[in-house]
Amino acid sequence: MTPHADTALMFVALAAYAISALALLAYFFTRNDALRAFGVPLAAIGCVAQFAQLVVRFETTGVWPLLNLYGSLSLFAAMGVLIFIILAIRYDLWFAGGFVVGIAALFLAYGTTWNEGTMPAVPSLQSYWIKIHIPLVVSSYAAFLVAFVISGIYLAKTYVKRTEATSAWLDALPSLPQLDILTYRVVAIGLPLLTLGIITGAMWAREAWGAYWQWDPKETAALFSWIIYAIYMHLHTRSAWKGVNSAWISVVGFASIIFCYLGVNIWISGLHSYKM
Amino acid sequence: MEARVAARDLYEDFVRTFGNVLFAVCLFVVWGVLTLVGVVVDQGKDPSVYFDSYAAPVARAILRLGFDNIYHSAWYVGIIGLILLSLTVCTFKRVIPARLPPLRPVKIDKIPLNASFRAGGTVEAVRAKVEAFFRGRGWQVRERVFDGDEWVFADKQNWARRGVLVAHIGFVIIAAGTTLYWARGFAGETAILTGQTGEIPRTDALIRLNAFKYTIQPIATKSGIVYQPIDYVSNVTVTGADGKPRDETIRVNHPIDIDGTLYYQASYGFGLQLDVLHDGKRVAALSDRTLLEGDSIDIPGTQRSVQYGRFVPTVDRATGQPGPDPRINDPAAILDVFNAGSAVGAALVPMQTWIDIGGGWRVIPHRYVPYTGLQYRYDPGVPLVGIGAFVLLSGLIVAFYFLPARLYVRVDADGEGAAKVGVAATTVKGYDIYERQFGELMTALEGQL
Repeated sequence: MTPHADTALMFVALAAYAISALALLAYFFTRNDALRAFGVPLAAIGCVAQFAQLVVRFETTGVWPLLNLYGSLSLFAAMGVLIFIILAIRYDLWFAGGFVVGIAALFLAYGTTWNEGTMPAVPSLQSYWIKIHIPLVVSSYAAFLVAFVISGIYLAKTYVKRTEATSAWLDALPSLPQLDILTYRVVAIGLPLLTLGIITGAMWAREAWGAYWQWDPKETAALFSWIIYAIYMHLHTRSAWKGVNSAWISVVGFASIIFCYLGVNIWISGLHSYKM
Repeated sequence: MEARVAARDLYEDFVRTFGNVLFAVCLFVVWGVLTLVGVVVDQGKDPSVYFDSYAAPVARAILRLGFDNIYHSAWYVGIIGLILLSLTVCTFKRVIPARLPPLRPVKIDKIPLNASFRAGGTVEAVRAKVEAFFRGRGWQVRERVFDGDEWVFADKQNWARRGVLVAHIGFVIIAAGTTLYWARGFAGETAILTGQTGEIPRTDALIRLNAFKYTIQPIATKSGIVYQPIDYVSNVTVTGADGKPRDETIRVNHPIDIDGTLYYQASYGFGLQLDVLHDGKRVAALSDRTLLEGDSIDIPGTQRSVQYGRFVPTVDRATGQPGPDPRINDPAAILDVFNAGSAVGAALVPMQTWIDIGGGWRVIPHRYVPYTGLQYRYDPGVPLVGIGAFVLLSGLIVAFYFLPARLYVRVDADGEGAAKVGVAATTVKGYDIYERQFGELMTALEGQL
């Protein structure tokens, strides 16, 4: 394995995602099955290339590849696509693929701008918890990404004016109650993952910093996101709050996730300022 | 009597309000907003920081409302208290009654998930087949008679109705664990100089620092050299309640336990010894102390004092300013001089060089001593918080991933040798989520009959 393999795999992943996203976006509007048949394997290839790239990084550097924003964004993109593919197989979500893969590609491309090369772990990151906590949290973010996309499609189906041009693809989408249930199912994956991520983070913090909860901006931002999704789950028990209102809460929830993930890491200093 | 009625009305209003899910959601919204305020507004800073960062009216509002320490403010504790109260009322008013819904007849065609079809055979025979069908698929089947009509009820994953209850209990256990820390726990930080022994308040522990070492590695990145910390190690001799000294090593992520209190590697720094000279002669009384950052020496016979600002491991030779390298190459100290409490100036003073502070007084930083910063914490609530977290997570998983459903089944005669089967379904998560499975179930049932 050479460092060039790392770069090559990253290039393959980005290219595969970009082309896949375009094909699946075209599928969203046309429902041409050939586009889906072309886009889905490309997304899978990108996902495999990404996981392979993470393994190669680990093998060539000996450093766990999730120590910085580049590594974690890379995992976020890979998990987003992986969770999407699994859910798409289970619930026939292919219509959302263009958006999920496209957003994953954007995050991955942004992540590469944070690639400063290989650095050894700072003392607080030298723990087995890094192999548990970060994948869990990033997976929860990835699940919320998928929920966000489905909610966005719900809102599009609700608000986009029905015209000759739009009615074909609007009609091809699942019904609003189905989209609402799909969002619920994905949030129901993300919230326990986020809860488990917060719990494992607390266990790690107790070992590293002396207390399971430090009121660090990252912890409190994660708590904020948890509260939003807890609100989502509570309101989803009320029929009057299902649908549009729930979809908006899911969108706000993902905005809070992005703030927690990138905003706090980049702009707010604290115990979790692991950008590089 | 009136007072009793008024009290009962008040109680009923209280239960109605606090047992309402939307009220709980409102409390969650307030909790979320307060939490977000704490993320955005720096916590625990000096008031001047807020006036520097925000417009004066905003800074004043932050300080007056306690937003500078929001997580320990009355607002925050109060909202969590209200959430716990709401959660308790909700649990008893809604969650517990809902876990075992009574078996009762319904109007099948009024329930959105319903199906009916004809089947050949007597009512008894068809009912037996229906029951066998559901039993064979893992449903719990029960028969009841209401006003002479026979009903069949089939439940699946009924136990999962307790998921929300379990999650609520988990939340309460976590709250109990954190309360236990507030009531009986303590935490603090201590700095121990190399070769010295620190006595830890509220414990019987003594910790002697034998050596402190740190490793920092310069790494070439695309943005330039980054000095990456690799390790902080305190070699200590600890004496606990048993009075027996033992050697231990404290590292980040590797705390030590002394009689239930955990000690963590939190920081490090350098103590500084100054040679204080008056008219060229060393003044031993002022020179033998080891100062920590912020400590100062009052100069006798003057209103002047010298404060140890901070240690500078490497002075940049080119600029004469503190360099970025945190490893000790060319050490110096920043000394602040005060006169009658007012700052006169600050100087970067390399080791073994001097500054003149007037009146024949000179100060020479002549030795630095590493110290370790240890954080200690006794938290008897940790086991409860851990159990609560596990219970909360279990409750969430049960509540989210299982779908308790109930089927209401009527089998009625429908002409000679035929029966009409009517089935309706309810779930704890509404109808849409079960629509597809219900359709598949009914197709299979019809095929079976």
